[in-house]
Amino acid sequence: MEQTFSEVISSIPWGIVAPLLVIQAILLIVALVDWFRIERTNGPKWVWLIIILFFNILGPILYFLIGRRNNG
Amino acid sequence: MQWMTLFQKETLENWRNFKWLWVPITFILLAALDPVTTHYLPVILEKSGELPEGATFDLPTPTPPEAFLLSFGQLNLLGVAVVLLMTMGIIASERKSGVTELILVKPVRYTAYITAKWASTLVLILVSLFLGLLTSWYYVNILYGDLAFTIMLGSFFLYSVWMTFVLTISIFMNVFFKTPGLVGFLSIALIILINSLNGLVSRFIDWYPSQINTYIRTYVINGTTNGDLLLTIIITLLLIIVMLISSVLVFRKKELAA
Repeated sequence: MEQTFSEVISSIPWGIVAPLLVIQAILLIVALVDWFRIERTNGPKWVWLIIILFFNILGPILYFLIGRRNNG
Repeated sequence: MQWMTLFQKETLENWRNFKWLWVPITFILLAALDPVTTHYLPVILEKSGELPEGATFDLPTPTPPEAFLLSFGQLNLLGVAVVLLMTMGIIASERKSGVTELILVKPVRYTAYITAKWASTLVLILVSLFLGLLTSWYYVNILYGDLAFTIMLGSFFLYSVWMTFVLTISIFMNVFFKTPGLVGFLSIALIILINSLNGLVSRFIDWYPSQINTYIRTYVINGTTNGDLLLTIIITLLLIIVMLISSVLVFRKKELAA
Protein backbone atom coordinates (compact mmCIF):
# COMPACT_ATOMS: atom_id res chain seq x y z
CA MET A 1 0.00 0.00 0.00
CA GLU A 2 2.83 2.37 0.80
CA GLN A 3 3.85 4.15 -2.33
CA THR A 4 6.40 6.78 -2.93
CA PHE A 5 5.36 10.03 -4.53
CA SER A 6 7.31 9.33 -7.70
CA GLU A 7 5.63 5.95 -8.11
CA VAL A 8 2.25 7.59 -7.99
CA ILE A 9 3.40 10.23 -10.47
CA SER A 10 4.73 7.70 -12.94
CA SER A 11 1.57 5.61 -12.74
CA ILE A 12 -0.53 8.46 -14.11
CA PRO A 13 -1.11 8.13 -17.87
CA TRP A 14 0.16 11.60 -18.79
CA GLY A 15 -0.48 11.22 -22.52
CA ILE A 16 -4.18 11.09 -21.76
CA VAL A 17 -4.45 13.45 -18.82
CA ALA A 18 -2.03 16.15 -20.03
CA PRO A 19 -4.22 17.67 -22.81
CA LEU A 20 -7.07 18.13 -20.35
CA LEU A 21 -4.73 19.74 -17.84
CA VAL A 22 -3.40 22.06 -20.54
CA ILE A 23 -6.81 23.38 -21.59
CA GLN A 24 -7.79 23.67 -17.94
CA ALA A 25 -4.66 25.81 -17.45
CA ILE A 26 -5.58 27.96 -20.48
CA LEU A 27 -9.02 28.54 -18.94
CA LEU A 28 -7.41 29.57 -15.65
CA ILE A 29 -4.93 31.93 -17.36
CA VAL A 30 -7.59 33.58 -19.53
CA ALA A 31 -9.76 34.13 -16.46
CA LEU A 32 -6.80 35.66 -14.57
CA VAL A 33 -5.84 37.94 -17.48
CA ASP A 34 -9.41 39.11 -17.76
CA TRP A 35 -9.62 39.62 -13.99
CA PHE A 36 -6.54 41.87 -14.11
CA ARG A 37 -7.82 43.93 -17.01
CA ILE A 38 -11.40 44.38 -15.91
CA GLU A 39 -12.27 47.41 -13.85
CA ARG A 40 -15.17 46.16 -11.79
CA THR A 41 -16.82 42.83 -11.20
CA ASN A 42 -20.15 41.78 -9.79
CA GLY A 43 -19.36 41.84 -6.12
CA PRO A 44 -15.93 42.41 -4.52
CA LYS A 45 -13.11 41.92 -6.96
CA TRP A 46 -10.75 40.05 -4.59
CA VAL A 47 -13.42 37.41 -3.88
CA TRP A 48 -13.44 36.53 -7.56
CA LEU A 49 -9.65 36.08 -7.53
CA ILE A 50 -10.02 33.51 -4.76
CA ILE A 51 -12.84 31.75 -6.61
CA ILE A 52 -10.81 31.65 -9.86
CA LEU A 53 -7.68 30.35 -8.13
CA PHE A 54 -9.10 27.84 -5.68
CA PHE A 55 -12.08 26.28 -7.39
CA ASN A 56 -10.81 23.97 -10.06
CA ILE A 57 -12.47 24.37 -13.51
CA LEU A 58 -15.70 25.61 -11.94
CA GLY A 59 -14.09 28.78 -10.56
CA PRO A 60 -13.06 30.36 -13.89
CA ILE A 61 -16.37 29.30 -15.51
CA LEU A 62 -18.38 30.89 -12.70
CA TYR A 63 -16.27 34.02 -13.02
CA PHE A 64 -17.06 34.35 -16.73
CA LEU A 65 -20.74 33.53 -16.22
CA ILE A 66 -21.53 35.64 -13.19
CA GLY A 67 -18.54 37.63 -11.97
CA ARG A 68 -17.86 39.47 -15.16
CA ARG A 69 -20.03 42.48 -15.90
CA ASN A 70 -21.09 41.76 -19.40
CA ASN A 71 -21.76 45.34 -20.26
CA GLY A 72 -18.84 46.90 -18.50
CA MET B 1 -25.78 44.20 -45.66
CA GLN B 2 -27.11 45.34 -42.34
CA TRP B 3 -27.65 41.88 -40.88
CA MET B 4 -24.05 40.88 -41.56
CA THR B 5 -22.78 44.04 -39.86
CA LEU B 6 -24.77 43.27 -36.74
CA PHE B 7 -23.67 39.63 -36.85
CA GLN B 8 -20.02 40.66 -37.14
CA LYS B 9 -20.44 43.14 -34.30
CA GLU B 10 -21.82 40.40 -32.05
CA THR B 11 -19.06 37.98 -33.03
CA LEU B 12 -16.41 40.62 -32.37
CA GLU B 13 -17.95 41.26 -28.97
CA ASN B 14 -17.86 37.53 -28.21
CA TRP B 15 -14.13 37.57 -28.98
CA ARG B 16 -13.51 40.63 -26.88
CA ASN B 17 -15.18 39.21 -23.78
CA PHE B 18 -13.34 35.90 -24.28
CA LYS B 19 -16.49 33.90 -24.95
CA TRP B 20 -14.78 32.31 -27.93
CA LEU B 21 -12.17 30.96 -25.54
CA TRP B 22 -13.97 29.91 -22.42
CA VAL B 23 -17.16 28.47 -23.91
CA PRO B 24 -15.36 25.92 -26.16
CA ILE B 25 -13.00 25.00 -23.29
CA THR B 26 -15.95 24.55 -20.92
CA PHE B 27 -17.73 22.27 -23.36
CA ILE B 28 -14.57 20.25 -24.00
CA LEU B 29 -13.98 19.75 -20.27
CA LEU B 30 -17.65 18.96 -19.61
CA ALA B 31 -17.81 16.38 -22.36
CA ALA B 32 -14.40 14.77 -21.78
CA LEU B 33 -14.13 14.58 -17.99
CA ASP B 34 -16.78 11.94 -17.33
CA PRO B 35 -15.55 9.31 -19.81
CA VAL B 36 -11.96 9.80 -18.60
CA THR B 37 -12.67 9.72 -14.85
CA THR B 38 -15.04 6.75 -15.19
CA HIS B 39 -12.28 4.81 -16.90
CA TYR B 40 -9.79 5.57 -14.15
CA LEU B 41 -12.26 5.25 -11.27
CA PRO B 42 -10.96 1.85 -10.07
CA VAL B 43 -7.36 3.17 -10.15
CA ILE B 44 -8.35 6.39 -8.37
CA LEU B 45 -10.18 4.47 -5.63
CA GLU B 46 -7.25 2.11 -5.18
CA LYS B 47 -4.64 4.87 -5.10
CA SER B 48 -6.57 7.05 -2.72
CA GLY B 49 -6.43 4.16 -0.25
CA GLU B 50 -9.76 4.89 1.36
CA LEU B 51 -11.02 1.37 0.93
CA PRO B 52 -11.07 -1.01 3.90
CA GLU B 53 -8.61 -3.89 3.70
CA GLY B 54 -9.79 -6.69 1.43
CA ALA B 55 -12.78 -4.82 0.09
CA THR B 56 -13.40 -5.68 -3.51
CA PHE B 57 -16.09 -4.57 -5.80
CA ASP B 58 -16.56 -4.83 -9.49
CA LEU B 59 -17.40 -1.72 -11.38
CA PRO B 60 -18.98 -2.65 -14.67
CA THR B 61 -16.90 -1.31 -17.52
CA PRO B 62 -19.08 0.78 -19.81
CA THR B 63 -19.20 -0.12 -23.48
CA PRO B 64 -17.95 2.59 -25.91
CA PRO B 65 -21.49 3.87 -26.64
CA GLU B 66 -22.32 4.00 -22.93
CA ALA B 67 -19.13 5.91 -22.20
CA PHE B 68 -19.91 8.36 -25.01
CA LEU B 69 -23.40 8.89 -23.58
CA LEU B 70 -21.87 9.97 -20.26
CA SER B 71 -20.91 13.19 -22.05
CA PHE B 72 -24.53 13.86 -22.95
CA GLY B 73 -25.48 13.42 -19.30
CA GLN B 74 -23.10 16.23 -18.35
CA LEU B 75 -24.07 18.43 -21.30
CA ASN B 76 -27.76 18.07 -20.51
CA LEU B 77 -27.21 19.28 -16.98
CA LEU B 78 -24.25 21.66 -16.93
CA GLY B 79 -24.00 22.43 -20.66
CA VAL B 80 -27.59 23.64 -20.76
CA ALA B 81 -27.03 25.60 -17.52
CA VAL B 82 -23.94 27.29 -19.04
CA VAL B 83 -25.89 28.24 -22.18
CA LEU B 84 -28.79 29.68 -20.19
CA LEU B 85 -26.63 31.59 -17.70
CA MET B 86 -24.44 32.92 -20.51
CA THR B 87 -27.38 34.22 -22.54
CA MET B 88 -29.66 35.41 -19.73
CA GLY B 89 -28.54 39.02 -20.18
CA ILE B 90 -27.94 38.95 -23.93
CA ILE B 91 -30.82 41.33 -24.70
CA ALA B 92 -32.24 42.01 -21.23
CA SER B 93 -29.14 43.75 -19.86
CA GLU B 94 -28.75 45.80 -23.05
CA ARG B 95 -32.32 47.02 -22.69
CA LYS B 96 -31.76 47.77 -19.03
CA SER B 97 -28.59 49.77 -19.64
CA GLY B 98 -29.97 51.53 -22.71
CA VAL B 99 -27.58 50.09 -25.30
CA THR B 100 -30.57 48.81 -27.25
CA GLU B 101 -31.87 52.33 -27.66
CA LEU B 102 -28.48 53.48 -28.93
CA ILE B 103 -28.58 50.79 -31.58
CA LEU B 104 -32.23 51.14 -32.47
CA VAL B 105 -32.10 54.91 -32.95
CA LYS B 106 -30.41 54.09 -36.19
CA PRO B 107 -32.55 52.48 -38.84
CA VAL B 108 -31.84 48.97 -37.58
CA ARG B 109 -34.54 46.42 -38.19
CA TYR B 110 -35.82 44.65 -35.07
CA THR B 111 -35.65 41.35 -36.90
CA ALA B 112 -31.99 41.90 -37.71
CA TYR B 113 -31.16 42.89 -34.14
CA ILE B 114 -32.71 39.75 -32.61
CA THR B 115 -31.66 37.23 -35.24
CA ALA B 116 -28.07 38.50 -35.43
CA LYS B 117 -27.72 38.02 -31.68
CA TRP B 118 -29.34 34.61 -31.91
CA ALA B 119 -27.17 33.47 -34.83
CA SER B 120 -23.84 34.64 -33.43
CA THR B 121 -24.49 32.87 -30.11
CA LEU B 122 -25.74 29.80 -31.93
CA VAL B 123 -22.50 29.53 -33.94
CA LEU B 124 -20.47 29.85 -30.74
CA ILE B 125 -22.50 27.16 -28.94
CA LEU B 126 -22.54 24.71 -31.84
CA VAL B 127 -18.78 25.01 -32.48
CA SER B 128 -18.18 24.45 -28.75
CA LEU B 129 -20.55 21.49 -28.71
CA PHE B 130 -18.81 19.95 -31.69
CA LEU B 131 -15.35 20.36 -30.14
CA GLY B 132 -16.63 18.87 -26.88
CA LEU B 133 -18.18 15.82 -28.51
CA LEU B 134 -15.11 15.38 -30.72
CA THR B 135 -12.85 15.30 -27.65
CA SER B 136 -15.18 12.87 -25.90
CA TRP B 137 -15.26 10.65 -28.99
CA TYR B 138 -11.45 10.71 -29.14
CA TYR B 139 -11.08 9.62 -25.51
CA VAL B 140 -13.77 6.95 -25.84
CA ASN B 141 -11.86 5.50 -28.79
CA ILE B 142 -8.59 5.43 -26.84
CA LEU B 143 -9.93 4.24 -23.50
CA TYR B 144 -12.94 2.06 -24.28
CA GLY B 145 -12.80 0.89 -27.89
CA ASP B 146 -14.09 1.73 -31.32
CA LEU B 147 -16.97 4.07 -31.78
CA ALA B 148 -17.83 5.08 -35.33
CA PHE B 149 -17.15 8.71 -36.27
CA THR B 150 -20.54 8.84 -38.00
CA ILE B 151 -22.22 8.09 -34.65
CA MET B 152 -20.48 11.13 -33.20
CA LEU B 153 -21.51 13.29 -36.16
CA GLY B 154 -25.10 12.04 -36.09
CA SER B 155 -25.53 12.60 -32.38
CA PHE B 156 -23.98 16.06 -32.77
CA PHE B 157 -26.58 17.01 -35.37
CA LEU B 158 -29.43 15.67 -33.24
CA TYR B 159 -28.16 17.40 -30.12
CA SER B 160 -27.62 20.72 -31.92
CA VAL B 161 -31.37 20.85 -32.56
CA TRP B 162 -31.96 20.53 -28.81
CA MET B 163 -29.29 23.14 -28.00
CA THR B 164 -30.82 25.54 -30.55
CA PHE B 165 -34.16 25.01 -28.85
CA VAL B 166 -32.61 25.82 -25.44
CA LEU B 167 -30.95 28.98 -26.80
CA THR B 168 -34.18 30.15 -28.46
CA ILE B 169 -36.09 29.75 -25.18
CA SER B 170 -33.53 32.02 -23.54
CA ILE B 171 -33.84 34.65 -26.32
CA PHE B 172 -37.62 34.44 -26.03
CA MET B 173 -37.47 35.10 -22.28
CA ASN B 174 -34.98 37.93 -22.84
CA VAL B 175 -37.57 39.86 -24.83
CA PHE B 176 -40.13 39.80 -22.03
CA PHE B 177 -38.07 40.83 -19.02
CA LYS B 178 -35.35 43.35 -18.37
CA THR B 179 -33.75 41.63 -15.38
CA PRO B 180 -31.12 39.08 -16.46
CA GLY B 181 -31.51 37.06 -13.24
CA LEU B 182 -35.24 36.65 -13.81
CA VAL B 183 -34.66 35.65 -17.43
CA GLY B 184 -32.16 33.00 -16.35
CA PHE B 185 -34.41 31.66 -13.62
CA LEU B 186 -37.47 31.44 -15.87
CA SER B 187 -35.56 29.79 -18.73
CA ILE B 188 -34.09 27.17 -16.40
CA ALA B 189 -37.52 26.58 -14.84
CA LEU B 190 -39.08 26.18 -18.29
CA ILE B 191 -36.42 23.71 -19.46
CA ILE B 192 -36.83 21.67 -16.25
CA LEU B 193 -40.60 21.70 -16.75
CA ILE B 194 -40.28 20.60 -20.39
CA ASN B 195 -37.89 17.81 -19.40
CA SER B 196 -39.99 16.58 -16.49
CA LEU B 197 -43.14 16.43 -18.59
CA ASN B 198 -41.29 14.20 -21.04
CA GLY B 199 -42.17 10.94 -19.25
CA LEU B 200 -45.85 11.79 -19.12
CA VAL B 201 -46.25 13.33 -22.55
CA SER B 202 -44.22 10.73 -24.44
CA ARG B 203 -46.89 8.12 -23.67
CA PHE B 204 -49.27 10.00 -25.89
CA ILE B 205 -47.12 11.72 -28.49
CA ASP B 206 -43.85 10.74 -30.18
CA TRP B 207 -42.68 14.16 -31.23
CA TYR B 208 -42.10 15.94 -27.93
CA PRO B 209 -38.90 18.09 -28.20
CA SER B 210 -37.01 16.61 -25.24
CA GLN B 211 -37.60 13.18 -26.79
CA ILE B 212 -34.53 14.08 -28.88
CA ASN B 213 -32.38 13.02 -25.94
CA THR B 214 -34.06 9.61 -25.85
CA TYR B 215 -33.54 9.29 -29.60
CA ILE B 216 -29.85 10.13 -29.22
CA ARG B 217 -29.52 7.27 -26.70
CA THR B 218 -31.03 4.75 -29.07
CA TYR B 219 -29.01 6.10 -31.96
CA VAL B 220 -25.67 5.91 -30.15
CA ILE B 221 -26.32 2.44 -28.72
CA ASN B 222 -28.01 0.76 -31.69
CA GLY B 223 -26.74 2.89 -34.54
CA THR B 224 -30.28 3.21 -35.89
CA THR B 225 -33.07 5.64 -35.27
CA ASN B 226 -36.56 4.61 -34.40
CA GLY B 227 -40.00 6.08 -34.19
CA ASP B 228 -40.77 9.58 -35.20
CA LEU B 229 -37.32 11.09 -34.97
CA LEU B 230 -37.84 13.10 -38.14
CA LEU B 231 -41.19 14.40 -36.94
CA THR B 232 -39.68 15.37 -33.57
CA ILE B 233 -36.92 17.30 -35.32
CA ILE B 234 -39.38 19.07 -37.61
CA ILE B 235 -41.70 19.98 -34.71
CA THR B 236 -38.76 21.28 -32.65
CA LEU B 237 -37.47 23.36 -35.56
CA LEU B 238 -40.97 24.75 -36.08
CA LEU B 239 -41.18 25.69 -32.40
CA ILE B 240 -37.80 27.41 -32.72
CA ILE B 241 -39.01 29.46 -35.70
CA VAL B 242 -42.29 30.35 -33.97
CA MET B 243 -40.42 31.46 -30.84
CA LEU B 244 -38.00 33.56 -32.90
CA ILE B 245 -40.77 35.28 -34.85
CA SER B 246 -42.80 35.99 -31.72
CA SER B 247 -39.64 37.29 -29.99
CA VAL B 248 -39.24 39.84 -32.77
CA LEU B 249 -42.93 40.80 -32.64
CA VAL B 250 -42.98 41.21 -28.85
CA PHE B 251 -39.67 43.08 -28.92
CA ARG B 252 -40.95 45.50 -31.57
CA LYS B 253 -44.13 46.12 -29.61
CA LYS B 254 -42.25 46.71 -26.35
CA GLU B 255 -39.65 48.99 -27.90
CA LEU B 256 -42.22 51.07 -29.75
CA ALA B 257 -44.21 51.44 -26.55
CA ALA B 258 -41.16 52.44 -24.55
